[in-house]
Amino acid sequence: MPIGARMRSAWRTITRQSALDADLDAELQAAVDELAAAHRAAGLQPADARRRALMDLGGADQVKEQVRDARVGAPTLTLLRDMALAWRGLRKAPAFTLAAVVTLAVGVGANTATFSLVNAVLLQPLPYRADDRLVFVWGDMTAAGYPRGPLSGPELTDLREQAARFEGFGAIWATTAALTGDNDPQQLRIGLVTGNFFSLLGADAAIGRTFMDEDEPTAAPDTILLSDGLWRTRYGADPAIVGQRVLVNDQPTTVVGVMPPGFRLLMPPDSNVPEQLEAWQPFARDLPRRLRGQMFLRVVGRMRDGVSVDEAARDVSAVAADISSRYAEYGSAGRRFTTVGLHDDGVRDLKPALLVLQGGVAVLLLIACINVAGLLVARAAGRARETALRLALGAGRHRLVSQCFAEGLVLAALGAIAGLATGWILLRLLTAARPPSLDRMAGVGLDPTVLAFTAATALAVALAFSFAPLAEMVRANLLALLQQGGRSLGSAFHHRVRKGLVVLQVAMGVVLLVGAGLLVRTFANLTTVQPGFDDRGVLTVRLALPASRYGTQASLDAFARALQSRLAALPGVTQAGAISHVPFDNIPNWSTTYLTEAGGDESRARRADSRAVSPGAFATLGARIAEGRDFTEDDDADGELVAIVDERLARTAWPGASAIGQRLVTDPRVTGHPTVWVKVVGVVRHLRHLTLLEEVREQVYFPVRQAHRNPMAWLVRTTADPAALAAPIRATVAALDPQLPIFDVRPLSDYVAGARATQRFTMLLAAVFAGLALLLASVGVYGVIQYGVTRRQPELALRVALGAGRGSVVRLVVGEGARLALAGLVLGMAAALVAIPAIGSQLYGVTPRDPVSYLLALPVLAAVALAASAVPAWRAARVNPADGLRAE
Amino acid sequence: MLKGTLDLLILRTIEIQPRHGLGVSDRIAQITGGTFVVKPGSLFPALHRLEQEGYIEGAWGESDQGRRAKVYRITAAGRKRLTTERRSWDRIVTAVGQVLDPA
Repeated sequence: MPIGARMRSAWRTITRQSALDADLDAELQAAVDELAAAHRAAGLQPADARRRALMDLGGADQVKEQVRDARVGAPTLTLLRDMALAWRGLRKAPAFTLAAVVTLAVGVGANTATFSLVNAVLLQPLPYRADDRLVFVWGDMTAAGYPRGPLSGPELTDLREQAARFEGFGAIWATTAALTGDNDPQQLRIGLVTGNFFSLLGADAAIGRTFMDEDEPTAAPDTILLSDGLWRTRYGADPAIVGQRVLVNDQPTTVVGVMPPGFRLLMPPDSNVPEQLEAWQPFARDLPRRLRGQMFLRVVGRMRDGVSVDEAARDVSAVAADISSRYAEYGSAGRRFTTVGLHDDGVRDLKPALLVLQGGVAVLLLIACINVAGLLVARAAGRARETALRLALGAGRHRLVSQCFAEGLVLAALGAIAGLATGWILLRLLTAARPPSLDRMAGVGLDPTVLAFTAATALAVALAFSFAPLAEMVRANLLALLQQGGRSLGSAFHHRVRKGLVVLQVAMGVVLLVGAGLLVRTFANLTTVQPGFDDRGVLTVRLALPASRYGTQASLDAFARALQSRLAALPGVTQAGAISHVPFDNIPNWSTTYLTEAGGDESRARRADSRAVSPGAFATLGARIAEGRDFTEDDDADGELVAIVDERLARTAWPGASAIGQRLVTDPRVTGHPTVWVKVVGVVRHLRHLTLLEEVREQVYFPVRQAHRNPMAWLVRTTADPAALAAPIRATVAALDPQLPIFDVRPLSDYVAGARATQRFTMLLAAVFAGLALLLASVGVYGVIQYGVTRRQPELALRVALGAGRGSVVRLVVGEGARLALAGLVLGMAAALVAIPAIGSQLYGVTPRDPVSYLLALPVLAAVALAASAVPAWRAARVNPADGLRAE
Repeated sequence: MLKGTLDLLILRTIEIQPRHGLGVSDRIAQITGGTFVVKPGSLFPALHRLEQEGYIEGAWGESDQGRRAKVYRITAAGRKRLTTERRSWDRIVTAVGQVLDPA
């Protein structure tokens, strides 16, 4: 019979059941009538004739049953019926069903969410041609505090010329550019790239083209490549924009193409190349001839086929060694390069965390399975007598198997649906709470393959375990079952093993709970940390002055002075100032070399983070001048060259002496040569602008009128809500120069919150998983106690019959739950004491053995034990004394 | 009765003449001289299965005694099936015969 016809028949069997049955009834009735007529003809009384006819037929109902079983699709129909039956049964046991479904949902959901992340972040290749051939080259400046730093233009050229195992090298540097003319002025985050950058990656434009070597200009770039986002928001997705001219930094610039939507630059997170740049422009041709000490290039190389990363790294290291031997500029002595796979390096920070997470949720799934099995066994025990009775009355074992199967199927289906919802919510939660360093997580969706896999796992688990109680039942002695009401089910040994597993679950929950507690305390401490400035009440905006109109130091200074005095005069504003870097803005960090005496070995100079500030910037930030003075308007091009250093640099450079009046030879313009003498006029408290956790690196501040920087960030301190200042600031800037785009309008507290984002994420993650683990543990405790109550039902009934109060029965059951929880608590505490120091580096302001976090676990555990024992205790309290006696 | 033989017997019986359920079993019993007695418990499931598989089709009509009954007739697919079944049956008979009486 063809499969199609068979399917149609099966479909008919299922959907037209009653019509088919009615037809069958009529046919059999006719047969009985015919047989009875024959018997009557042979002389039997009508009643006897009819009885004989039915006997001939072998029982009308039996025949009907046989016909139904013979129908095409009959097994499916039976399964559907059993599933409907199972559904009704599950609805009658809401506590069991809820516990099982929640357990499966947590297991499936957590696995789906995490594996979707792992798959998208770790397993998916980068969206570039042959991404396994791409490497990233870091300049290793560990001695200066920069183990992963950039390269300079000449160094890129050295690599291109000497590293033979490569097809080529390209470089990128993230900066900003002003887009004006056709619309509101807009500051863009752009990537300056070498002409070969996109072809090296193997990324093509959606419209037009990417860059070619010929696009590299002799002076300012005159071509631009748009991102899909910018093309849509600014140019209304008009394809005709390609080939037209726009004004970039006041320079007529041809749009060469538009990148596809979803094109992302997946560079290592600490390379300061944002994933979502708005446009790209080519570097000028003089890149190879720029200063060797001016290191800013993020370099990507493409290895030739068949070359391993190790071989490629040897090539690159040889180039570094050659540079060391030939040049004596800053950083060239002992120059070392590190070569790493682009994909591996991009997920370097994420990988261990994600793998730990994945391992954790896999264990969670295992626990979920054990719990569901436990619940099913408890349920089977509760129904043991009913099952035994059905077996005794002749129910076929295959029917019982089929019904168990159906129940497992329904449970698994419910669990998978609930798991899908859980997974979706978890994934949304995780991606929404991601810190900037995990931006790669953005846009990760539930992976259908993963979902199918976990749902299948849930199914397999539910099915496998739905047979477990049955296997015991079939083995069990029927008579004993009937007599004892199911107490022989599951040996005492099994029960002990399950109790042990539950204790382990509780212990795991406790470890996670203590960890989460510590991370919550860490986060709380981070919100009160003193970073050396006061982030409340300050709004920051960024301004870039186009070189075409602000080409001279005098014009820049005039604009800055005018703007600062107008900002300071705004209503509610107490202070205003400008700084080249806002704390935690992740703008590539300018750092400068310095020597304390003339004639020192400049290739081994110390390095300090360098910032340019306007007079009043420190006061606006709320930073405290510890010694000496702040910059003034007199510290300008005509004044003596001065600097302010932080306490850290002052201590390192002049231990035991005052820094005021000391002189440094340094490099305010980042030329690569410390050649400029400056006098220290002030010492400022260290500003934490890279990490809240500790003071890192020394800092030197130059007056912006002497060390000009562009763009600058403007800081405005107000007594009112800083967000309300955005409009007045825009108006003030527009009044001075209507063609000037304002960008990055954000409260200073935003940046600081961003610096806490990683800790916030870890805290959230730990809290969520502690919650899930405890939920599972309480389901585990519930399953075991429920089973215990079922086993001991006759005993409990006997106690009640003999006059024990209901209260004592409840105490008995709750006591059992409390014992399990207590055992888990003790074990968990011990495990936490051993294991938690491993995350010591993630903690701030609390020790890994912080008693508060440990004590916090107590009430939570008490609640878990109570919640898990509540339903069984209620059941035990309602036990009918007569039932217990009868059962004995 | 050999497995599969029942289908063969039913198909052949109603190929000769459409019959209702009991008519089929009566006819088989009559022809085989009582060697094969098909009980209703086997007959009806087989008829319904064959009908669902499209080899026979049943319609309400009259039995040979003039009673209202569901009468089955063979379909084109049924005839084809009968031919193949017959052929394989012949092969079996020949083969078994050769074993019993080697030439």
